[in-house]
Amino acid sequence: MANVTTTELPKKYHDAVVRWRELFLPDFDYLLQNWDRYFPRDPRFKLCAFRELGMPCTVEVGQDQGKPKAERACEMRSEAAQHLIGAIRAQASTEFGSIQQHQLTLARAQDEEEQAMVLRMMAEELRHGYQMLHLIVADDWKPVTGQSSEEMVEEILSMQTGSHVLGAFNIDFESFVDNIVFCCLIDRVGKYQLAMQKVSAYAPMADSMPQMLREEAFHLATGVVPLRRWVVKAAAGSPMITMEVIQKHFNKWVPRGLEMFGDERGGGTNVKLGLKPMKNREAQDQYYLEIQKVVRDLNTRYLRARLSGLDAAAAEATLQELERDHGRVGGVSFDELLRIPDRHYFRRRGEPSFAMVGRDGERFLDVEAYLVHLTQTLPDGYRATRDFQDYVAALRQVASGEKTAEEAGRSMPQLRRVGGVCPCSRAVRWVADESVELPAGAV
Amino acid sequence: METTAIQVRALSELDIGDIVRIAERTRHAYRPELWEDRVTYYLRRDPEGSVVAESGGRVVGFMLGDVRAGEFGIEEPCGWIEVIGVDPDCGGRGIGRALGEAMLKRFRERGVERVRTMVDRSMPDVERFFESLGFSADTLRSFVKRVHD
Repeated sequence: MANVTTTELPKKYHDAVVRWRELFLPDFDYLLQNWDRYFPRDPRFKLCAFRELGMPCTVEVGQDQGKPKAERACEMRSEAAQHLIGAIRAQASTEFGSIQQHQLTLARAQDEEEQAMVLRMMAEELRHGYQMLHLIVADDWKPVTGQSSEEMVEEILSMQTGSHVLGAFNIDFESFVDNIVFCCLIDRVGKYQLAMQKVSAYAPMADSMPQMLREEAFHLATGVVPLRRWVVKAAAGSPMITMEVIQKHFNKWVPRGLEMFGDERGGGTNVKLGLKPMKNREAQDQYYLEIQKVVRDLNTRYLRARLSGLDAAAAEATLQELERDHGRVGGVSFDELLRIPDRHYFRRRGEPSFAMVGRDGERFLDVEAYLVHLTQTLPDGYRATRDFQDYVAALRQVASGEKTAEEAGRSMPQLRRVGGVCPCSRAVRWVADESVELPAGAV
Repeated sequence: METTAIQVRALSELDIGDIVRIAERTRHAYRPELWEDRVTYYLRRDPEGSVVAESGGRVVGFMLGDVRAGEFGIEEPCGWIEVIGVDPDCGGRGIGRALGEAMLKRFRERGVERVRTMVDRSMPDVERFFESLGFSADTLRSFVKRVHD
């Protein structure tokens, strides 16, 4: 019902996305066959690019505020076009990357409805990736990147977990808890990025955002609603899910979510160039406040399940007392509740990268003691992953003075495509690429 | 709180707890699962089509609805207002009116020509509220039959 136009990519690109979907989203056909069962009366999914009509046609922020927005990359300042294509590639990479992550553990869902919600969300992420490919294909970026559209599309479609532009999309999921917490925390970062890009000085980018934001609203519900139900199960003593497990997954993903905003000190260039309305720290601050609200909501839901007879006001008062005194009320202790990890906890990018700060803000001086703390506060399965192993190695290098925190952050190995031309070639290898760095403010 | 301005914005998943709280006050039943399902439904169909009112940073009211076609013999796309709730502590401040006007504006922007709702005759206050927004009684009537004794 929104005021939009729809477009399909030229056939060879559309077909490439369909092939990618067949490889990485094998349950897509099941979703469509069962759409009316899970989502009765909802419009059926369509793989296409949307463009919102009636959006502002003049630049909304920055040095060119008030001037007409660019319809083509060649109408933009060179610096702005560079930043923009970096953001488009990062956005495309994350959309496709999240599908690969979700697919790893989709089958482990315990609840059919939750599984269907995640599956629909994956299909919509595919459409978001398609939307970004449309921006690449519909314009001539070669003067900006030196690459043809075809080469850029191939590069994006050949990425796999480990090679995506943003770190959060390179971390394997270990259980369905990851699927849900990721929707709640990492898709929330996505909402901020999309909302900021809605003011982009490049009109096709700005006009792409409203429909993506509409779909993102459901993705956030796909995270929050199961969590609200899981804390009730946890309160009832379910062996299937506990508050500790949820907490450890928050510990795993919140630091990655914070880093997705880019370095806290950056983002000014994007504002100056009219691509976003907020610097990184400002957006990160708002995000952190928002996840505080999520955690309070979950804790309130938990308290009402644990202490039957509480009404909303009494639950609120009980939560305030627990937060203030860190004690026990009615048999519930503060330690049972969820809490947001400190902003400096387990960071490897940005201002506090490799600072040894504990989950509750405590400072560590000894690297081994800090690693013990991390192993106690992160999910068991994650501790055995390549991602954590790389972090540990980098932290030791920083602690010994072998590398600066910035060097360590850049040198963590990533999977990168090193050969092959077919989008499905999977021609990726583990490589340590010291020079790899996102364009400033690309995220 | 009475002097704080009312702001109306689109519904989000973060509003579920507040909607549960308001509905508990007005309907005297704590039914979080119901509202989790309802909010998810509206968010996945049209997240901009439902609204909440905030005052002093706190949600004080909500109105849920969407645009549908092909129901009850009505083929044209039609806006439906389906649920409204206002915090009883904040009654008489024009929150319902602010929500209603925001919903009507959103429906207009989506190009619909008519907005519909259904009101129980046992709730004359609600009937008067919709009349004050310009609604009038329609020929569409509600019928019901009990299928379990």
